[in-house]
Amino acid sequence: MAFNKGERVNLSSAEVMLACGDPEGLNILAEMFHGFGVHTPRRCLSLVEAKTSVQDRMLNLMVVDSALSDAEGYEFIHWLRRSEIAPNCYAPVILITGHTKPSQIFRGRDSGASFVVRKPVAPLVMMQRIIWLLNDQRKFVTSPDYCGPDRRVKAVGPPVGMKGRRHDDLSAQVGDAKTPNLEQDEIDALFKPKAVSG
Amino acid sequence: MSRRAQVFEVENRLAKIVSAPGGRTVDQAVKAAETRIEAVREVSLASLVGKSDQMVQVAAAARRGEQAKPFDAIYDISNAIYGLASSFGLTALSEAAFSLCDLADGFRTGEEPSWPAIDVHVDGVRLLSMLGAGVSAADAESILDGLRRVRARVLPST
Repeated sequence: MAFNKGERVNLSSAEVMLACGDPEGLNILAEMFHGFGVHTPRRCLSLVEAKTSVQDRMLNLMVVDSALSDAEGYEFIHWLRRSEIAPNCYAPVILITGHTKPSQIFRGRDSGASFVVRKPVAPLVMMQRIIWLLNDQRKFVTSPDYCGPDRRVKAVGPPVGMKGRRHDDLSAQVGDAKTPNLEQDEIDALFKPKAVSG
Repeated sequence: MSRRAQVFEVENRLAKIVSAPGGRTVDQAVKAAETRIEAVREVSLASLVGKSDQMVQVAAAARRGEQAKPFDAIYDISNAIYGLASSFGLTALSEAAFSLCDLADGFRTGEEPSWPAIDVHVDGVRLLSMLGAGVSAADAESILDGLRRVRARVLPST
């Protein structure tokens, strides 16, 4: 996940919500985002506070720990994605996990997190994830089973042997040509240098 | 919520805001964040002792059967200790807390509970919290070696 350290980021007007059930952990996150240039990150210790923040403000980024004081971060993200509180329900969410089993990574992804990051989260790592999110072109999916950014990060089409469920899924089969092949002199003409008059 | 799956594009508002003129370079932003986090190191590490004391009390209450879900509170505090310790490079404490999370999570999800294993871990985490960054490599390794052996005995499958 390479990026240019000389690249400029202006987070001064970004509305960022930070949610973590541990006061000291929340304080570290807040200091990190102050350092990034965020003026007033919204601090939430509990699920209730996080929900209130989503209802009260237009947020640009949410960073959520898997452990809130009264619930799990997954629960908040699951609620957020189905809340229909636009545009917040579409905003990027970075989920931070502490003690992490592979099942929790999948749980975070399936709850609708844009990214899952394991602790310890150094500022450089967090900034890399933010910059990745700036270039995130994934579409948003709503369905009875899942709401959140498309979980397919790479657009490589449907699995081999399957038709695909999306209207823009391309088939791996190459169809018959619809126009005649180019003649050799037409191909040569594409490479032949020509003087430009004028 | 529609019963049919819908896939649609959403505006990347974060990208629009971040690209506004001004701000700081990524390098400056990361360095400023590191400096600010370093400034709260002392107060954060001081809280580790309080958390480990709290865990001793929670574990004792859980052992006496005073809690409906005895391993949940132990897991939560240990997870918080892991998060703080790992943020400030206390590798021995973070490994001990992570191991306690493994135990508590294993016991609450069906493994045969072992209170002596919990007690040994709680003591180890508390000792490492009090020693902080001042623990010698040899002492830390000695404590961790004991915890690893206990963990391997009670959770051999993980």
